[in-house]
Amino acid sequence: MASGAQGGATSRFSSAEKRRDSDHVSFLKHRGFRWLWIALGLSLAAILGYLMIDQQPRPNGGTWYGYTLGTIGFGLIIWLSLLGVRKRRINPGAWSLKAWTSAHVYLGLSLVVIGTLHTGFQIGWNVHTLAYVLMLLVIATGIYGVVVYATLPASLSANRREMTRAQMLDALTAIDRQLESAAQPLARGEADLVIAALAQDVFGGGALERLTGRYPGCATARALGGLGSGSEAEARVAALLEKRREQLAQIRGALRIRALLEVWLFVHIPLTIALIAALTAHVISVFYYW
Amino acid sequence: MAFLIRTIDFTAAGREIIRDRVVEQMSLTVGRAAECDIHLPDLAVEQRHVAITTQPDGMLAVTALGTLGFALDGRVVSEGTIDPRTGGEIALGAARLALAREADGTIAITIRQVAAAEGSHDALRGFALASVLPSKRAMSWILASAIVLLLLLVPVASHLLRAPAKPDPTGKTPGTVVMDAAWSPGALSRKHRSLENNCESCHVAAFESVADETCLSCHKDTADHAPMPRLAKGSPALSPGDAVQWKIGEALGKEGPLGCVSCHSEHEGPVRQQAGGEAFCSDCHKDLDTRLTNTALADAHDFGKAHPQFRPAYYASFGAAKPVRAALGAAAGTRPTERSGLKFPHDVHMNARGGAARMAVSLSQYGKPLECKDCHNLSPDRIGFTEVKMEDACEGCHSLVSGRTAVGGFSKLRHGDVKDLAQDLARISSGPRARVGPARQRPGQLGSAATPYRADFGRPVRAYIGISHALSAGGVCTECHLPTTGPTGQADLMPVNLPDRFLTSGFFNHEAHKQQKCTDCHAANASKAASDLLIPDLKNCRTCHLGAAAVKTKKIVPSDCAMCHAYHVPSGQWSPKGPSPHYRPPPSKAKVAAATARKAGT
Repeated sequence: MASGAQGGATSRFSSAEKRRDSDHVSFLKHRGFRWLWIALGLSLAAILGYLMIDQQPRPNGGTWYGYTLGTIGFGLIIWLSLLGVRKRRINPGAWSLKAWTSAHVYLGLSLVVIGTLHTGFQIGWNVHTLAYVLMLLVIATGIYGVVVYATLPASLSANRREMTRAQMLDALTAIDRQLESAAQPLARGEADLVIAALAQDVFGGGALERLTGRYPGCATARALGGLGSGSEAEARVAALLEKRREQLAQIRGALRIRALLEVWLFVHIPLTIALIAALTAHVISVFYYW
Repeated sequence: MAFLIRTIDFTAAGREIIRDRVVEQMSLTVGRAAECDIHLPDLAVEQRHVAITTQPDGMLAVTALGTLGFALDGRVVSEGTIDPRTGGEIALGAARLALAREADGTIAITIRQVAAAEGSHDALRGFALASVLPSKRAMSWILASAIVLLLLLVPVASHLLRAPAKPDPTGKTPGTVVMDAAWSPGALSRKHRSLENNCESCHVAAFESVADETCLSCHKDTADHAPMPRLAKGSPALSPGDAVQWKIGEALGKEGPLGCVSCHSEHEGPVRQQAGGEAFCSDCHKDLDTRLTNTALADAHDFGKAHPQFRPAYYASFGAAKPVRAALGAAAGTRPTERSGLKFPHDVHMNARGGAARMAVSLSQYGKPLECKDCHNLSPDRIGFTEVKMEDACEGCHSLVSGRTAVGGFSKLRHGDVKDLAQDLARISSGPRARVGPARQRPGQLGSAATPYRADFGRPVRAYIGISHALSAGGVCTECHLPTTGPTGQADLMPVNLPDRFLTSGFFNHEAHKQQKCTDCHAANASKAASDLLIPDLKNCRTCHLGAAAVKTKKIVPSDCAMCHAYHVPSGQWSPKGPSPHYRPPPSKAKVAAATARKAGT
């Protein structure tokens, strides 16, 4: 293309460009779905092995193939749970966190196949099935997490309408200050409604209210309902309350999306730790009563 | 248009100072410059930052005069409108200008300084879901500790600290380990259900596989399929995976692939122990002779395709001490000849128009021509037949009645032992001669209960004649028996030798075949002599029974090995229903000897 000097510059540019490009590739598509193919291959091999290997007396965790699947599954679960450690260690080199995350997602999904074949489809009320069910729940919440990470950030930024979270709170504070002065002429009962609206913490709702976006105890809505519109002061307070409600709706929208984005982790992480505990009990109990 | 500009400041003590001034203008400028209408001494504010203009419609237009925008109701804009009726707030640096219309129509602008820390990092934390949920770490600890404690530590601790419970097949003794039910991967089989609450009855020690001796502590009578060394030698090589598993398992103290639990896997649900499939047997027996070169067993793997001809046990010579085996189904001339010592032409007895049939019709106990079941009765196990007793089966026609008794019945010769027969015959001859006419009383005997004096001082010739007649050809015994001479040359009969079962290594369930006629398999109606061995051959069975892989039709019954064969010896036939084993093995010789010794002692 050009002289050697230019070539060096080009290659440095192109490598930097490549890196910049790869920075914007989703972890799901990392390296042309490399880990998806690896996980699919692993699952397929496990299924083929299950169908073709004669497991005596019947397929379950106690045959050599069952032990093999169990060992692979155990190793995968431990490695998958180490993502939490890996992501906190910022280190250079080949330890790409994106590759790790990609592998976490796809290998985690292949665990459904490996774990299920390990059970030999024998399910009961015991510590073994507890570990299996916990594993499925962890994977299900993980799938939810991947889906919301792929879809919700767009609506989160649409909801912001170019405001930062701090600005949303500032806006609410500004409305509150105006409300406080505008409400001065109001009678006792109405003033109390406004005080209740002002006193209510914007973050006060519980997890359920955040996730559903319904706040049945919203004092602002109640104040709006309880306020007459006779005098000019009342009309003004009502208008301000309406503004407050709109601002609250934006903040609550942000809270809802944020909650939907984060809620799975509150199941995924504790259940992962519970799974490791159940897995320990499963492995030890099986050999304790061999 | 008038603006009321109200500045609110705070003294060091926190007291509010409010200053009002009224500006009569249509528009105001706000900035750091001194000439602005609202002067804000704040470096974050431009010299001339915004202008507030009253619009003709009463709205207030707020416009940035420089490049820097301002915050209107929290949102950063460069221009905006405020409805004075609802009001609005402009943020410029630390100052907040609240605009609202007063009752008299003037626009009040209230200026306040706010603390710079507002909108702090802490406030933003409220956006995270973590602010309303318990921490992930706490939840993790609680869940993991509960699981480890209840499902691992409690059972292990109680196992280590327990006084071991004894195995109790009746199920009345519960186990002493707490919470180990959660470890059970499934219900026990139906026969072992009584042990459900006593895990320690099988899982005796920690980290030790269930041992054969534990199984045999209850299953005392169960013997091995063959001696262990021969079993090991006859077994095919394990698959590489199984070989590795057993290598590791045996290194850790597990009994090998011939141990009880490698076939009898438990915790598979409340089911019956299933019989091993065809592959279970054919794994070894399909090419057993390649490994066990000195075996007498022929290879077999599929009843329809590869199964040796039946080799029934029968007595091949008169009075033989032991039965021998020979293959059936060979050409007509080489068929095994049975030497039971009996004469019994089946065809004569089964001919519906023959003399035997006529005799049977005339007798009340039969009333119709003879049938197989008139002589052959199924044994209680429904597999074999009880011994044919002469007294029950034959004597109706082949009578041994020898005379009348004093009380009006009949006396008869005892059957079974020539010595008994000789005694009975002798008694006939030495007894009082039969009266010819009605008894006449002699004088002196009138009214006396004493029997009349009689004596026969002659030699008991008639008795000898009787016994030698009976035992020689044409005598009463030789109707059915073969005459012979004893060791001292006296007349005797050939002992009757019939095996209890002909096919001793398999189980043929006659009950299951009762839809068939006996003669469908046993060619008895054409058999002219008792020397015919009427056991059906392999071909006969194969008209219906083919290997397990055969397609089931109305006629073809796919049959795996377990339909006829059992694994453990002694053992019974496996059946899908009913009590198992279907056939109870006979008590061992040692047990019988012990029982007879006890009887003799008392």
